[in-house]
Amino acid sequence: MNRESSAGYITRAPRSSGLADVLEILLDRGLVIDAYVRVSLVGIELLTIDLRVVIASVDTYLRFAEAVNRLDLTQTGDAEGLPDLFSSGTEDVAESKSKGAVEGGMDAIKEKIGLGGRGGDDDDDEDEGRSRSRSRGRGSNDR
Amino acid sequence: MSRFYLYGITRPRELPQRLESQGISLVAADDRAAVVSGLDEGPVEATRKNLLAHADVVEQLHEDAVVLPARFGYILESREEVLELLALPEIGQLLERHATTCELTLKGKYEESVLAEVGAALQPLRDAYRAGPSVEAGIVLGEAVGQGLAERRTRDESLVLDALGPLAFDVVVAEPAGELAAFDLAFLVERSGVRPVEAKVEELAGRLSPPLHFKLVGPLPPYSFVRLALPATV
Repeated sequence: MNRESSAGYITRAPRSSGLADVLEILLDRGLVIDAYVRVSLVGIELLTIDLRVVIASVDTYLRFAEAVNRLDLTQTGDAEGLPDLFSSGTEDVAESKSKGAVEGGMDAIKEKIGLGGRGGDDDDDEDEGRSRSRSRGRGSNDR
Repeated sequence: MSRFYLYGITRPRELPQRLESQGISLVAADDRAAVVSGLDEGPVEATRKNLLAHADVVEQLHEDAVVLPARFGYILESREEVLELLALPEIGQLLERHATTCELTLKGKYEESVLAEVGAALQPLRDAYRAGPSVEAGIVLGEAVGQGLAERRTRDESLVLDALGPLAFDVVVAEPAGELAAFDLAFLVERSGVRPVEAKVEELAGRLSPPLHFKLVGPLPPYSFVRLALPATV
């Protein structure tokens, strides 16, 4: 169903079926009158917590630093990678800072839903989430 | 069957045999019809299988005519509740509005080489990190990279919105998820307006790739453009 084009930089799919990151749209978009009164779901409350897990963490920063350093070394042809020299240190920090009970629970939920590999998503919080609607062009608005 | 699971709302019509055989039916009233299936007691589990089934029904029906897709997990406790929902004037307005529209979602994601591009402006911090690769130096460098990446995201999101916004009735901009995610956008366009968007995305890829990867999905039912800001009915 997917096809690659533009030298592999565009993935094109006509439908969401089978695309985990598109299926998420069903959980926070779509017609609903009042999520809390009308929607009867298992798993959503926990998902909502997951959506708020902060992406930027010490773990992230250390991986960024490592990547920038490694990519730079690749470019200059310097084969000795420093990251390996202290990677055990970064792992310790990463473990202590980023693996909370919440995150562990999340993984289980996401696995169940088949949304593994996502690093969290926009929360909707009904109408006040981080999603924001912008009217463009001929500009009609549905809110 | 007294409880209903709601897939979406459409115009009265024949259902494809394939959906009927899965227990999907219509509850129609005047020029509106709810796409439902009977449901036992208890909540609906948000499993991958159930999400796929929901998407399949609304996307299949959307191929032929307007569908207002319900959010996953929408349950109506009786036939009367279904009819109440259908009778809302807002439903009529949405059906009108989306008569010939569809949604296209566009997500952007960077490949790792973006970090090298961002890092190119951070030579002193990189030197410091290499000279003394402590956790502290790593955090300082990593934070700067994160900051540079955030600026890059903002720039690219604006470029994409400037290019595609004029082709769309409406846009929903969501916070992209994931360390290397760039943007997460949904566009409402005419069904006949898909090709121009595709062409524009190709053009954008010519300018921004690498390191940017685009994922364009649709034509989809207008998932992101059917929210009703109504209080719950009794």
